[in-house]
Amino acid sequence: MGKVTGFKEFERQDETYTSVIDRVKNYQEFTVPLSEKEITKQGSRCMDCGIPFCHSSCPLGNLIPDFNHMVHQGEWQKASWILHSTNNFPEFTGRLCPAPCEQACVLGLIEDPVSIENIEKNIVERAFKEGWIKPQLPKNRTTKTIAVIGSGPAGLAAAQQLNRAGHTVTVFERDDEVGGLLRYGIPNFKMEKGIIDRRIVVLKAEGIIFKTNINVGVNYDVKDLKEFDSIVLCGGSTEKRSLPTLGIDADGVVQAMDFLTQQTKVLFGKEVKNQIMATGKDVIVIGGGDTGSDCIGTSNRHGAKSVVNFEIMPKPPGHRSPTTPWPFWPLQLKTSSSHKEGADRNWLINTKEFVKDEQGKLIALKTVNVEWKMVPGQRPELVEITGTEKTWPCDLALLALGFTGPESTLADKLGLKTDARSNYKAEYGKYQTNVPNIFTAGDMRRGQSLIVWAISEGREAARQVDIFLMGKSELPSKDIAGDLVAM
Amino acid sequence: MPASVPFTDGDYIGALLDRNGLRPSRYTITKSGKLIMSSEIGVVDIAPEDVKKHGRLEPGKMFLVDMNQGRIIEDEEIKSKIVSERPYQEWLNNTRLHLKDVPYTSETCPIESIDIKTRQRLFNYTFEDIQEVITPMAQDAKEALGSMGTDTPLAVLSDRPQLISNYFKQLFAQVTNPPLDGIREEIVTDISLNLGKDRNIFSITDRQCRKLRIQNPVISNADLEKIRSIDIESFKAETIQILYSKAQGLNGLEDALDSIIVQVEKALAAKTNIIILSDRGVSQELAPIPALLACSFVNHQLNRLRKRSYFDIIIESAEPREPHHFATLFGYGASAVNPYMVNEIIRMQVKEGFIKDMDEQKAVDNFNKAIGKGILKVMNKIGISTLHSYRGSQIFEIVGFNSQFVEKYFPYTASRIEGIGLYEIEKEIDQRYKQAYPNNQIDKNLSLNIGGDYRWRRNGERHLFNPTTISKLQQAVRLSDQDSYDVYAKAINDQAENLMTIRGLFEFDNLDPIPLEEVEDWTEIVKRFKTGAMSYGSISREAHENLAIAMNRIGGKSNSGEGGEDRKRFQKDINGDSRNSAIKQVASGRFGVTSHYLTNAREIQIKMAQGAKPGEGGQLPGYKVLPWIAAARNSTPFVGLISPPPHHDIYSIEDLAQLIFDLKNANREARINVKLVSEVGVGTIAAGVAKAKADVVLISGYDGGTGASPLTSLKHAGLPWELGLAEAQQTLVLNNLRSRIVVECDGQLKTGRDVAIAALLGAEEFGFATAPLVASGCIMMRKCHLNTCPVGIATQDKELRKNFKGTPEHVINFFFYVAEELRLIMAQLGFRTLEEMVGQTHKINSNKAIKHYKAKGLDLSSILYRPAAYREMPVRNTEQQEHNLENVLDFTILKDSHRALYRKEKMNLCYPIKNTNRTVGAIISNEISKIYGHLGLPEDTLNINFTGSAGQSFGAFSAHGLTFILEGNTNDYLGKGLSGAKLIVKKPTKADFIAEDNIIVGNVCLFGAVEGQAYINGIAGERFAVRNSGAIAVVEGVGDHCCEYMTGGKVIVLGKTGRNFAAGMSGGIAYIYDPENKFINGLCNTETIEFEDISNEDAADLKAIIEKHVLYTDSKKGESLLVDWTTSLQKFVKIMPTEYKKALLRLETEEPMFEELTLA
Repeated sequence: MGKVTGFKEFERQDETYTSVIDRVKNYQEFTVPLSEKEITKQGSRCMDCGIPFCHSSCPLGNLIPDFNHMVHQGEWQKASWILHSTNNFPEFTGRLCPAPCEQACVLGLIEDPVSIENIEKNIVERAFKEGWIKPQLPKNRTTKTIAVIGSGPAGLAAAQQLNRAGHTVTVFERDDEVGGLLRYGIPNFKMEKGIIDRRIVVLKAEGIIFKTNINVGVNYDVKDLKEFDSIVLCGGSTEKRSLPTLGIDADGVVQAMDFLTQQTKVLFGKEVKNQIMATGKDVIVIGGGDTGSDCIGTSNRHGAKSVVNFEIMPKPPGHRSPTTPWPFWPLQLKTSSSHKEGADRNWLINTKEFVKDEQGKLIALKTVNVEWKMVPGQRPELVEITGTEKTWPCDLALLALGFTGPESTLADKLGLKTDARSNYKAEYGKYQTNVPNIFTAGDMRRGQSLIVWAISEGREAARQVDIFLMGKSELPSKDIAGDLVAM
Repeated sequence: MPASVPFTDGDYIGALLDRNGLRPSRYTITKSGKLIMSSEIGVVDIAPEDVKKHGRLEPGKMFLVDMNQGRIIEDEEIKSKIVSERPYQEWLNNTRLHLKDVPYTSETCPIESIDIKTRQRLFNYTFEDIQEVITPMAQDAKEALGSMGTDTPLAVLSDRPQLISNYFKQLFAQVTNPPLDGIREEIVTDISLNLGKDRNIFSITDRQCRKLRIQNPVISNADLEKIRSIDIESFKAETIQILYSKAQGLNGLEDALDSIIVQVEKALAAKTNIIILSDRGVSQELAPIPALLACSFVNHQLNRLRKRSYFDIIIESAEPREPHHFATLFGYGASAVNPYMVNEIIRMQVKEGFIKDMDEQKAVDNFNKAIGKGILKVMNKIGISTLHSYRGSQIFEIVGFNSQFVEKYFPYTASRIEGIGLYEIEKEIDQRYKQAYPNNQIDKNLSLNIGGDYRWRRNGERHLFNPTTISKLQQAVRLSDQDSYDVYAKAINDQAENLMTIRGLFEFDNLDPIPLEEVEDWTEIVKRFKTGAMSYGSISREAHENLAIAMNRIGGKSNSGEGGEDRKRFQKDINGDSRNSAIKQVASGRFGVTSHYLTNAREIQIKMAQGAKPGEGGQLPGYKVLPWIAAARNSTPFVGLISPPPHHDIYSIEDLAQLIFDLKNANREARINVKLVSEVGVGTIAAGVAKAKADVVLISGYDGGTGASPLTSLKHAGLPWELGLAEAQQTLVLNNLRSRIVVECDGQLKTGRDVAIAALLGAEEFGFATAPLVASGCIMMRKCHLNTCPVGIATQDKELRKNFKGTPEHVINFFFYVAEELRLIMAQLGFRTLEEMVGQTHKINSNKAIKHYKAKGLDLSSILYRPAAYREMPVRNTEQQEHNLENVLDFTILKDSHRALYRKEKMNLCYPIKNTNRTVGAIISNEISKIYGHLGLPEDTLNINFTGSAGQSFGAFSAHGLTFILEGNTNDYLGKGLSGAKLIVKKPTKADFIAEDNIIVGNVCLFGAVEGQAYINGIAGERFAVRNSGAIAVVEGVGDHCCEYMTGGKVIVLGKTGRNFAAGMSGGIAYIYDPENKFINGLCNTETIEFEDISNEDAADLKAIIEKHVLYTDSKKGESLLVDWTTSLQKFVKIMPTEYKKALLRLETEEPMFEELTLA
């Protein structure tokens, strides 16, 4: 390609962050972009593999070697075309995707992988800056109308694709602003909300109708959906997991998502009564995932006295574990920018009790260390290690334990089948529920997952809806046979 | 074609040799008035004193005896008589029209009404076509390279629309005639063509010369416009559109084809003699007829109407973009092609800066040049040297057209498995239309298909090796994880819905299950497995040795490839492992092929062709020939190495038999294996190979191949192994030859199921290359030719080689899984041993319901056909070949030379010799190599005097310590693979002819000589010292192509030379005595060499060698030169290859480079 030996000459360069001291003072993004020259150099590290595993492991099927090549050539607009041909919202994934592509990058076998995600972000930012991202109106309008329920990445992607096929699309959102988890669930310092707004402007100009504050099945009768030819459910996986432990009802035990949402709402001047604050408190975040990490970052911005993080699983190895070989997603320790802002991380620890004072206020957590007993052929068993009980002073415990599945309201009211994990049932690749004109995509169908999967499912579901309505579709498809078959 | 044609009419008797001198023809004139001509010398005993002259027929020359006059008429006399009869040159000068002399017109090329993006989609262009195929050719004027074979579906199994050229597979020469080296032997090639009406060949007038001459038949838009509007006496061009009404579909297409014929006839009636078939002017209503279809139809239909000689065809088409497309057009009758769409694309690429540092015109010229070279290569593969003879020759096999369709549009082309017809072709065009005119405007910016032929992409062409299969296979072998292997094998085997290969269309039938325990153990099965021939040099030492260790551990066989092997590997390691490759390959370059190398083989493989690029040679560029690679190949570091397209000692099946015999002599324990590539007729060749006494014949698929190869060859040359294997099996059985030979098969074998199908079709051994490499860590970068393999396999870069993570266990695991999968199938089918399975085609069913619209017309019954002979004749190998070695003279010598061989005592022996004594010296050398290794015995330990005419391959592979003195003469291949011996051939003392005027040794002497000396007291035939890499030779005259591809050693010619001296010579030194400056003025090919002054040191060396020559042979010529040495010296020319000179300097001045093995 551009440079055959680029990977041997240049090292990976990532964007850097402003200093911790500076960035915890506010809720703005704190990345420091690389120079254009440096990005083109990074593009030249791409080896143009005979088999680009990145492209296969990307749920969207992003044409990674192809846009890398264009970036290396300085052809930013062409890069943007290529990028947008598979990804409706690279500005979201360019910031928030855990980048399975980079884990599957062939260069990653021998050194640091190509900085694909950062290149992606630079392409889309450049495209917005240059004004290349313009509304693409459909040439012809069909007579078909479609309701998309949920305005997260899956819903937005489905809406945009269906609109491009000429259908009239209405998106329903129960919150006051569109974006789903992207809007309030993701802290502003991870993605500034203007990023969503600028894309919504384009979507509206393309003719998509957005209706906020409408909770279908609650303040909007599902019967009224009859006016639509087809319905796409993209309501996400929003049932929060709890911790059935003594003292869970203590004042000061809070769901992480509530904590994060409030903070972002406040930031944008929305009214929030009794905002949960971490200021001056001993904060314990239970759950070692991305939400946990966001809580750590937000707590530090609040000015917590201390921030401790618990994870029940063992500490992952610093390098890719042999049980999760390349090109698959690795079991590997991740240290996020929020972790670097200060947190005491603990693994193999289980909360036994939330200790409260007489007023019911949380004052401490009792924990015990655990280990996992592995018996081949059986589910691993959690075993407590006696004598490791410990009490941690704590006045704010944030539960970042993930989601158990979608809410059942719509399924109940629309008569939809769900699977064993309470997800809405529709075959991967088909997205059609047991009610023929109702489709579902994203977390609502697959359970909690990545933004990139949400966009992918939204796009693919849109194509299936189009085929359902029109008998055929010219909307693009990623060819799911190309998905890297997981472990 | 190699040919020596003798003829007589009673008055005259004569013979004529092909223009490249590929056949030997020797004659002797005696004083007693006899003339004896034969392909060999020594067929009739003649007393030396009776000999008047020993001569040979020279390339392209005629030898004629006028019986009435009683004299020999020299070639020059015959030809000058003929050429002076009429003023031919004048005729040519005055009457022939050159394209460059046709004035440019004001006509500009037609403007297309629809935008280029739409037209590109309509003509099936992909991103890859533009980026990987067209742009590199326009940039570098060379065809782009690729690696790792092809694992995409055949055109007839692909669900993306295909240009019809893709259904055609190029045929190539193997064994029956040699492919040609159009680069090094450019003097015999030509791609220029003459256009216009043909005339009565019996009327000899200047009108015969009235033709339009085109130097490169790939013409630019401007050139086409010149021809289109030509207004010159005797020329008239007419453009005929090859478009049809899209709305009328198939009928429209058929009508349009018929109407084209009518239009052509009408044009001919109006004295038109150049027909331009043009697909310009396409639109949503008018669709293009495939140019190849139109071209072939016009060609054949007008032939049927007996009007074909009235005109020539020019194709103006948007379709052709890669050399293969052009080759098919020429092959079916076109005389020039204007690829106007490519021109448009190139202009765009220049404008947008993707083609750098040149203007549009230059870029288009480059592309046309690259195509010209590509076509030359395609022609050369089959041994055709001029486009004039290639035009209309139809040297293709079709895979996937039904016979009715072929008969009408492509008559006389082989198409063996039926397939699609005009209806499906129209459907494919329709598919392209759907892409070109989508209903909605979606992704207008990305209007082209991604392609995905050369690199995997989602939505691109499907590949057997894709992210899932590669990662699952690697996971399986690394973690010993059966489940992962199962996912891998299922993905490869499960082609029910994803048709990819012919074997994918088969189902097992006549099941007769037995318990799995009764099936032979996997450890027995893997003994039949082999890894592919990949040279040390093309892949890293780590990867190469890893495969060898793995195969030796399980009793299978690894293959050295054509790059020789480090001698250290012949001994076992301390831990008991062996890095010695069981199979030693003998390829056309003969790198590192010595007696010692051959002695250490369990099997010796003669590579006639390779799947990735059958009929082509190869090249290892100088920067890759690192000192340790050079050592294994007996060559000079940093000097590029060329593998010629042909073996220069195999121009016929008899020659192959000779080489088999030579190699069998060089190692009596080793099996001799001949590697062929599948194509129509491979069965006949296999039968020939069996008769030529090979122990094993390998039928390779076209799709395999790990090495670098031009993209066109990767995809379009050769056939799938299923076809070749079935043909070979059937032919061998029918001729009762199957019992004598083992049949092996390779080419994208990946799973136990693949092996099962191959066994049922008739193979008993199996080769794997890509899959074991993937097991060792290959991730199909397809960058083998760039030295940047990131996993340390196909690279010599020290840093990258550290990344090699493969272990022998990984490879063994792979073969274990394959064997176990095979065992399951065997149990299901009811076979206890693999041997029982061989050739049992009734266990395969091809009637599987194929729903795919293109594949449903296929008829695979010919692959599964069981000749009646199956009932009487053995269908698998049951006996050994009879090699008839017992009569070899070497056994007598062995008996007599005991003291020399085993006690290193100096001995002198004498024997008479005849031309039936073939390959003298190889067996003794084999014994020497066994005991003493490569260095053999001290010089002159065993001295043998022979008298008479020696047979072919005298002194072949002869080792250090042997000195052969032959008083008499020899046939071809003297000192082939010379491995250290000293060979002296001198004129018999009793003979009184002048040595330097008489031929004494045959063609292709010292081919692949590695070390040793040769002193030849007379003239040698063509191709003396071809690919010599270390021998020192003195000869008193040589034929054409002397020192071709030479990489080392010294050659001193004291007399005349033929043409094309030093073609492709990259190393070694030659000295030519050139008193009349004939050599320096035209006989030498100066492409890779320079003439250098002779230093004092050189002069002393030269003198010493000539003194030896005189001492050994009593050479009168040598003596005369030494009399006045100072004067003689001034008339010597020194030939120094440029690259060699630089390499020597580098070796002298730079720090020596050492090999560090990164393998733990």
